[in-house]
Amino acid sequence: MKQLLNDIMFLWSAKPIFRVAGLYLVLFLLLVLLLPWLPLPYNPTALHLDQVYQPPFKISLNEPSKPAHWFGTDALGRDVLAYTLYGARTAAFISLPVMLLTTAIGLVLGTCAGYFANTGLKTSRGRLLLFVLCAGIFLYLGLYIPLQVVSLNLNQRIIFESLGMMLLAVSLLWLVGLRVVEQVPLLRSGVAIPLDRLVLWLIETFTSIPKLVFILVLASFMPPSVVLLSAVLVVTYWTGTARLARAEILKIKQLPYIEAASSLGVPTVRLLFYHAVPNLVSPVLVTFIFGLAGLLAFESTLSFLGIGVPADLVSWGRMMAGIRNNTAAWWLVVFPGAFLVLTVLALQVCSYYYLELLKKRKN
Amino acid sequence: MFFFLLKRLLLALPSLWLIATLIFLLSRLLPGTFGAENILKESGDFYSTGTAAARKAAYASFLHKTYQDLPLFYFSIQAAAEAGTPAANLPEQERKLLKKLSWHYGNEEAVAAYVNCIKELRQELHIRDNAGHLANIEKLYTVTEPEALLATVKETVSNMGNTAPSLTSKLQTSAATLVRRQQPYRAFLPAIYWHGTQNQYHQWLTKLLQGNLGNSFRDNRSVFTILKEAIQATILLLLASMLLTTLLALELGIFLQKQSGRRWRRIILPFLFFTDRIPVFLLALLLLLLFASPDYFQLFPVYGLGYYTGAEENLLQRILFMAPYLVLPIICLVFVNLPYLTNQFYRTMADISHTEYIKTAKAKGLAEGTIIRRHILRNALLPIITLLSDFIPALVAGAVVIETVFAIPGMGSLLVQAVQARDYPVMVGIVLVVALAKIISHLVADFFYTLADPRLRLTAS
Repeated sequence: MKQLLNDIMFLWSAKPIFRVAGLYLVLFLLLVLLLPWLPLPYNPTALHLDQVYQPPFKISLNEPSKPAHWFGTDALGRDVLAYTLYGARTAAFISLPVMLLTTAIGLVLGTCAGYFANTGLKTSRGRLLLFVLCAGIFLYLGLYIPLQVVSLNLNQRIIFESLGMMLLAVSLLWLVGLRVVEQVPLLRSGVAIPLDRLVLWLIETFTSIPKLVFILVLASFMPPSVVLLSAVLVVTYWTGTARLARAEILKIKQLPYIEAASSLGVPTVRLLFYHAVPNLVSPVLVTFIFGLAGLLAFESTLSFLGIGVPADLVSWGRMMAGIRNNTAAWWLVVFPGAFLVLTVLALQVCSYYYLELLKKRKN
Repeated sequence: MFFFLLKRLLLALPSLWLIATLIFLLSRLLPGTFGAENILKESGDFYSTGTAAARKAAYASFLHKTYQDLPLFYFSIQAAAEAGTPAANLPEQERKLLKKLSWHYGNEEAVAAYVNCIKELRQELHIRDNAGHLANIEKLYTVTEPEALLATVKETVSNMGNTAPSLTSKLQTSAATLVRRQQPYRAFLPAIYWHGTQNQYHQWLTKLLQGNLGNSFRDNRSVFTILKEAIQATILLLLASMLLTTLLALELGIFLQKQSGRRWRRIILPFLFFTDRIPVFLLALLLLLLFASPDYFQLFPVYGLGYYTGAEENLLQRILFMAPYLVLPIICLVFVNLPYLTNQFYRTMADISHTEYIKTAKAKGLAEGTIIRRHILRNALLPIITLLSDFIPALVAGAVVIETVFAIPGMGSLLVQAVQARDYPVMVGIVLVVALAKIISHLVADFFYTLADPRLRLTAS
C-alpha cells in the first residue's frame, strides 16, 4: 500500500499529463458527489415543451428572466447541460460499485483457485455433505420462501419465521451432524475439492459468448432496474480479474518467501492475505482502472440501446440516442460524448503511466 | 487431425449445453411472456379484438402450442402447502386467494372447500342480482388472517340475514374448519414433485437435438429461417471489417517496426492506447452526423441495406448493390478495433525483434523489409492467430451496436429486437449461433496454427 502511494506521488510530480488526468478524475468525483447541491438553473428531467431543440450557446434576448440553456435542449426541451452532468452521476454510481464488487469477487475466486489448485483444499466427506445440506436449507428457507412471500404479497411474519427456522436448522445440523460424521469411518475420510478446475470451468462458461450478448439476454429476463442491471454486470465481469489474480498467484506461489513463511507455520489465511495478496495490488489496480473505463462506456452503450435500464434513468447514452430522431441536433451527441470520452481518456492515461512505471521496475 | 478437431468439438459441448440450458430456464422462470402481454391486453389493438373469454381461449391455445402449459423441468421443489399449483384457467382473483390461503393455512383441502363456498355464494348472488351483498363477498377475497377471516365471515353472514341460508351456513362451517384444521408449518416443508418427460425443458432439448430451434413468439416463423435471413448481412459486415482491420493493423505494425517508423512510434502508440476504449456507438453516431446528415457531407446512405429490386441477381451483384450502405458501418468497426490489434501486433513483433536469430539476420546484411516480413512476421504468426481468434467477441459486440445504429437487418439488430420483445426462442438461437461461431473460430485457428508452424503439424498427426 505504501509502495502504491509512493508510486502515485512520484507520477504526480514527474509526469504533467498524469497530473492533468488525475486532477480531472478528482474533479469528476467531486462533481458526482456534490451535484445535488450545485446551483443548476434547470432540473435534468424537467420538460420545457415550448423550447425543444434549442441550439447551444444561444441566449434568448426576448426572455431575459429565463436562464440560458448553455448546451441546448433535446426533443422534450430538457436542458442538455444538467442532463449531461447528472448522466455522469449515473454512470459513476453504476460503474464504481460494480467494479469494486467485481474486483472483490474476482480476487477471492482467483486467489483461492490459484493457491489451493486442485488438491490444496481438503475436507472430510462428512463435512462436505453437511455443507451441501446447509446450502440446500439456506436456498429453501432463506431465499425461496422470502421471495415467494414478497411476490405473493403474504404476511411479512412468514419471512421472519422462515429465517429463524433456517438459523435453528443450520446450527442444529452442524452441531449434531459433526458428532455423527466423526463416528462414521466412511464419512471421515478426506476428499480434495478441485477448486481450480471448478473456477476455470466457470470462467470458460461465462466467457463462451460475448459479454454484450450475454448481458442483453440476461437483461431481457428482468424488469428494467439499475440494481438488477448492476447485479448482471457483476456476474459477467468478474472473470477478467479472477483470471489475472489466478495467474499472478501461481507466479507468487513459487517465490521463496512464501515457501519460507509456510515452513515457519504461518496459517493459510494469514499467508494469503498478509503475504500473497499485497503483491497482487498493482496488477489488480490496473485492471480495475481499465475495467472502470470499459464499464463507463458499456453503461452508455446499454442505455443507448435502451435495454436493461429504466426509461426515466438520466444517462449519457439515452441523450445520445436522441440524435436518431433529428440528425441536425449535433449537441445531443457532442456534449455527453465529449464528457464520456474525456473521462475514459483520463482513466486510460492514469493506468498507462502506472503500467509503464511497473514495466520499468520489472526490467 | 480429424480426431483432434472432433475432440475439441466434443470438449466444447458441455459449456454450450450449460449456457443454452441456463438461458432457457431463466427465460421461462419469469412470468410475463410476449403472449400474456399482447393477447390478454384490454385496450383495443390488433391482438385484443373479441371478448375476454375469446382472448383467454386464444391465450390458452397459445400456451399449449408453445408448451408453456407444461411444468418447466423434470422435477420441481415447492412448499408442501402449495401442493399442486391452482389451475391456470381459474380467474385471477380466485387463484390468488387460493395461493395465499394455502400458504397461511397449509391445508389445501380445507382451503379449496372454503374458496368453493365463496364462489358458490357469489354465483347465487349474481343470479339474484343482489349488488349490496356482492360487495360484502368481495371483502372476503382480501382477508387471510384467522381472526379477521372468522370475523368477516360472521359479519357477512349476519348482513345477509336470510338470503340463501344453506350456502351461508356452509360458508361458516367451512371457515371454521379451515381455521381449526390449519397446519401453518407446512409452508416451511419442501415437497418434491416428479414430472417425467412431459416438461418444457425435455421438449425443448429433444427438438434442439433434432435441429429444430422452435418458432418465434412474435411472428410464429421458424427461428432457423429468421436466423438464416439475418446472418448474411452480418457475415458480410464482419468478414469485410475483420479482413480490413487485420490488414491495416499488420501494415501499421510493420511500419512502426521499421527504422523509418521509429519517429512515429512515440506518437502513434500512446494514441492507439488511449483511443482503445472509445465506445463504438459514439463513433458510429459521429460518423453518421458527419457523412450522412444533410447538413454536412452527405456522401453515404444512412439506414438499411438497400431496397428490394425484384430483379434476379447473383451474389456479386447483390454485394455491389449493398456496398454503399456498408461503407460507414465497416469504417466504424475497423476504427474501433484497430487500436487494440495494432498495439498487440506491434508488441508481439517487437518482442521477436530482440531475439538472437534476428540479430543474425541483421548481421548477414539482409534488407530490413525482408527481415520483418520473412523472419519477424513469420515467427509472430502464432500469437497473431490467437489474437485474431479471440477477437470474435469484440466484433460481435460491435456488430450489435453498429447494426442497431445503421438499421442493418442482421443478427445484431435481430438480437436487440428479440430482447425488446422478449422473444426467447430467437434469443436462444442467436446465443447458440454466436457460441458456435466462437468454437468454429477456435477450430479455424487450430488449423492455421498448423499451417504457420510445421512443428505443430508433426505433433498433431
